[in-house]
Amino acid sequence: MIMDFGSRLRLVAALLVGLGTSFAVSAESPSLAFRVAKVVTMDAADSVINDAVVLVAEGRIVTVGKRAEVTIPDDARVIDMPDQWLVPGMVEGHNHTAGGLGDLNDMVYLTNPGLDTRATIDPNNRLIESARWGGVTAVMLIPGSGTNMSGFGTVSKTAGDTPDEVILRTPGSLKIAQAGNPEWYFGGVGRRFMNWNTRQTLLKAMDYNDRWTSYEAGTSTTKPEYDPIFDGFRGLFKKEFPATVHTQIYQVLLTTVEMLGRQLDLWVVLDHCTFDAWKVGPLVVAQDLWVLNGPREYHFDRTMNRMIGNCSGWWKNGVRKLGVNTDAPVVPERELSYQATMACWYGWQPYPALAGVTRVPSQALGLYEQRGSIEAGKIADFAIWTGDPIDPRSACLMTVVDGRIAYDAADEDVRRF
Amino acid sequence: MRVERILTVRRGFGALLVAACCSMVVAAPPSKVALTNVRIVPVSGPPIAQGTVLIEGGKIVAVGEDVKVPYDAREFDLSGKVVMPGMVVAHTWRGMDIPNESRPVVPQLDAADAIDPSQLYFEECLRLGHTVVHVMPANNTVVGGLGQVVRPIGLSVAEMTIDDGGFMKLSMAPRRGSDRMLQMATLREAFAELQDYVARLAETKYEEKLAKEEREIDVLPVEARKRGRKELKADHIDDEHRNLIRLKGGQVTVEGESGPTLFSPLGAFVYCGSAMDVPRAIAFAKAHGFFDRLVLVLGGDSHKAIKALKKAARPVVLPENLVYRDVDPFTNKIEETFVPKVIADAGLQFALLPGPSASLPERMLTYQAARCMRYGISRTDALRAITQMPAEIIGVGERLGSIEVGKDAHLVVFSGDPLEFTSVVERVFIDGIPAYDRSEDIRLKRLLTTKSDESADDEQ
Repeated sequence: MIMDFGSRLRLVAALLVGLGTSFAVSAESPSLAFRVAKVVTMDAADSVINDAVVLVAEGRIVTVGKRAEVTIPDDARVIDMPDQWLVPGMVEGHNHTAGGLGDLNDMVYLTNPGLDTRATIDPNNRLIESARWGGVTAVMLIPGSGTNMSGFGTVSKTAGDTPDEVILRTPGSLKIAQAGNPEWYFGGVGRRFMNWNTRQTLLKAMDYNDRWTSYEAGTSTTKPEYDPIFDGFRGLFKKEFPATVHTQIYQVLLTTVEMLGRQLDLWVVLDHCTFDAWKVGPLVVAQDLWVLNGPREYHFDRTMNRMIGNCSGWWKNGVRKLGVNTDAPVVPERELSYQATMACWYGWQPYPALAGVTRVPSQALGLYEQRGSIEAGKIADFAIWTGDPIDPRSACLMTVVDGRIAYDAADEDVRRF
Repeated sequence: MRVERILTVRRGFGALLVAACCSMVVAAPPSKVALTNVRIVPVSGPPIAQGTVLIEGGKIVAVGEDVKVPYDAREFDLSGKVVMPGMVVAHTWRGMDIPNESRPVVPQLDAADAIDPSQLYFEECLRLGHTVVHVMPANNTVVGGLGQVVRPIGLSVAEMTIDDGGFMKLSMAPRRGSDRMLQMATLREAFAELQDYVARLAETKYEEKLAKEEREIDVLPVEARKRGRKELKADHIDDEHRNLIRLKGGQVTVEGESGPTLFSPLGAFVYCGSAMDVPRAIAFAKAHGFFDRLVLVLGGDSHKAIKALKKAARPVVLPENLVYRDVDPFTNKIEETFVPKVIADAGLQFALLPGPSASLPERMLTYQAARCMRYGISRTDALRAITQMPAEIIGVGERLGSIEVGKDAHLVVFSGDPLEFTSVVERVFIDGIPAYDRSEDIRLKRLLTTKSDESADDEQ
């Protein structure tokens, strides 16, 4: 007689409930004490703690402080790395590796509001696994940019064995691609049609949301029909999740800022933002939108006859909600830190760049309340580095996700570098 | 400040969006600007040998020989120069990503969704003194969508916009890969479907009304469609059909949360690719109620339909190629017609378009006007055909196209007479903003500087 996996799991769960919750949790994640040279907390005050200890228990950070001021409990496992840096887990905001390399685009219509990457999550595919080698702890898994609207994305952790274990938020975002790919759709379309059509789809969804909202508020007595195509949008209009927008080139960025930011007032994260898009900076600031630049970090400006760093351009134009992405698998997600490095090579600054792979994307995707900084009470997502992660000589030695060691370079079986 | 049109209005929501869109940042023009000691070619009247144009708040407030310059005005002493009104490009797809969409019938689309302020085309407009551009879908279409009237400066389309285009693009000439029978069939179908759409919508609305009153359908569809008309509101109608209704002369008011939005009737720019298209365009416009707002865009040998054109007396946009060439199939004798002369002699209002050539001077509207003079058109008419007439044709004649008190300050300063081929554009003012200065035109400098010039500079 073979018990199937599901019933075994239920049996284990029943046993754990019987034994009491606290025991179950501590058995799964023993408390850890990290002794490090430096903690770059990425908290609101930008504090940096030298010669520090970070205590982790039950998946969360319990204490962060100077070594002399923190008492390490006797039962804690001490991880002694006195020369290394501890930084928040990196957050990758634009990622197509949900199910490895397959299931990227469904070219059904020019806008495909009913689709969702949740259906493709494969938590331990090789590409997600490799994210851990580079200190990346959370990713936004989105469909491709073959059409103007390719479906909903999923915010996922980079460690865990089942979809339910890794999914942080679903839908994680709505993926919109404004231009620069979707125009290849069948016979070809121009920006006039694409923009009209995308706006039309969003307005239909807004209508659907309005009907439900007024029904729920009691201002309307007609119960709207449930529509699986548009139901996912309700969270978008309630600002529970952002629109992840593939946008690049001056005019296309303008359209995004105007249409999605100003007219429709969505929570917008501008992804790619390449070519001469940085020139739209002042308008992006006025609309208070997020920018996650990449994978290309530079632009050759023919007018000025020189190379422009995109992040440098955005930064000089006043954009502070600025981060980078990898567009994995275009650049593997484990190289997210190199994206920031490259942005610095082309004129950005190291500290904002480090924030641009940790705190900023975490805030942009709405994860910062729980993750994205090293503060007591937050979920323990971080990595240990041999130095500043923005310095290309630095290596990631250990990645902790949800208070568990998800990657340890000391383990010869998993070590990759 | 314009009220920005929202390109799409869904039921009952449009006006709210329109209200949300009035806050766009627009560069404020310097409050007072004076162009002094300059020869003034107002186009609307005789030239002034030496005088002053005074601008305040982007508008022309005084023109003449004896204009007192206020102490706080920014003065440009333009001795020896000539100032004329900013020129008007009546019809071009430039400034957008592609000329036409792949779908043949797209009345719901708007040029504003594709205009790219960063395109070099607009920089080029400044260099050439073209200050008003009517961006319109090109000719490879059936019902091509709406245009937008813009100035070549501004960070966003909203900043560039002078006027929401009041014209729909149609074409009588067949799209690529199609013929005139299919073209006409598609065009007829688009308008026939409108009737059908409204009828079916009315029927649905009647049914909804009955359902609300918990009553059964009591009449046949024909009657339901009649009764449903009363239930039909403007904001039940989608963009595509609303624009066709506007084209047919309908004025559509859509109620929104912050008040009504008025959509006024649309005119049409109808492309005729040959003489045979002209009478059909006129007949179609009459049949669908937009003849009074019809502008004919002429191509090929359309000028041969001069009788029909003259009878219709509607304004025309001329082809870029001003000379039409016929070859006699038997004798191979070439016969050339200078098209603007045919049109001018018929007394029609016409707009010249910049030439198709890749060379810099031939792309200038002044070059087209100068050629008109060479072929016997009066200087006044030639100048009007690149300023006042196109401005009137695209519906901004009250604001633009001449140097007159009260008009928007779109001014082009030439080094000499604008129609003299040695003259160049030295400065451009748009709504009083100093928008172009040839001495700071880096790209032009690069183009016109040779290696020997550079070494000569080094020696000095």
